Amino acid sequence: MSFSRYGAPPNKRAVNFTCIAPQAQYVTMVGDFNNWNATTHPMKQLADKAWQITVELKHGHHRYAFLVDGQLTLDPRAMGVTRNDQNERVALVAVS
Amino acid sequence: MKPTPARKPAPRAKSSGKKSPATASGKIHPVVIYPYRQPADYTDLRLLYQLIARLDAEKNVYARPLTVIDRKTYFANEGNKSFREFREKTVARHSDILDAWCVDTCQMWYTGLGAAFERGGPDDVYWLIPGDFNYGTKVGQEVLSRLHDLPEICQELQQDLCIGEIATDHNNSKQLIDTYGTFALLYNWFPTEAQAIREYTERPRSEFFAVRHGFLREVLRQRWFAYEQTMVMLLQAVFDNKHISRFLVGNISDLPTGRDSIASAMQQVDRTERVLKSLWKERHQSQSGWQERYGILEAQSEQVRRIAHVILKNLLA
Repeated sequence: MSFSRYGAPPNKRAVNFTCIAPQAQYVTMVGDFNNWNATTHPMKQLADKAWQITVELKHGHHRYAFLVDGQLTLDPRAMGVTRNDQNERVALVAVS
Repeated sequence: MKPTPARKPAPRAKSSGKKSPATASGKIHPVVIYPYRQPADYTDLRLLYQLIARLDAEKNVYARPLTVIDRKTYFANEGNKSFREFREKTVARHSDILDAWCVDTCQMWYTGLGAAFERGGPDDVYWLIPGDFNYGTKVGQEVLSRLHDLPEICQELQQDLCIGEIATDHNNSKQLIDTYGTFALLYNWFPTEAQAIREYTERPRSEFFAVRHGFLREVLRQRWFAYEQTMVMLLQAVFDNKHISRFLVGNISDLPTGRDSIASAMQQVDRTERVLKSLWKERHQSQSGWQERYGILEAQSEQVRRIAHVILKNLLA
């Protein structure tokens, strides 16, 4: 068995995020990592209509959400839920 | 459609302060609740204490772990050589043992969290770790590798309370108790707060959580219930607009100690109702006309409880 999360963590890790919003025109990712900036992390629509992005995140816990056509959307597959500084419900991801 | 402009963070309704180097230096206090019934097989506990040993070794991050052992557990097993050896060579080696007479599990929490709080400081976080889970299974080992996220989320994201959620299927007894008992009763007694709680978690009675020093100080000084204390803490957090998070710690089930029996399920619903009644009275008894409102809610609550019993009997018996 492994308790790798308790050891020395790597500095950054590429994390894939997927948003299922086949009808959306535009999806971006926002979070603490980009200061909730809606312009810096646009997601790409794949052939199966899912939206995807790979983000380099530091070790630790990060708050994030998807903006689906400008609407803040919680990731239904997120590992956790919390609130951002605007008191909106957002997702949590742990990066080891 | 073009992206919206950069979203400007607004002040929180009630902030517990921004992240600071001082906060980052706070310690995490692991508090282990030793199983009330000593299992014959020590595999789960050995794996748990492997983790505790690792935490104990990281003295810059973790305070000395505490283990709360009910005196009834001790006296029931004092003639058991395996128990005595495990207690002395493993539990006492990697943690400080708190021996206490406790009426129920939540009093063990009170003893452990209270003692850890007295050792802690304003930037510290307290991490409750139940001992009676099947950590020896593959899924249980995954849980052990994720549990640390709870106190870390409190530290890194300035959360007052982080609840660990265990995913179960819809027919799991815990899921049924929470759906038809806990939430149904919460919606009766505290409807607004219940909706807020459900925005975070489906497990308002989880035994996995981490809590910040300031919030723990507040809840320790209020009435502590012998059971369903997580739900009380969640209600308190919502009342006081605290920062709450939920994090998935895995998909595990209790050891087979009878918790899933129909009698136990009904007892859990009954306990939840008693706690909610007491809490409601405490919060409203200074208001005029509270007795009339209480009478209406109590009548409704009885119906909710009876229906929960019927459903649980149908599904678990």
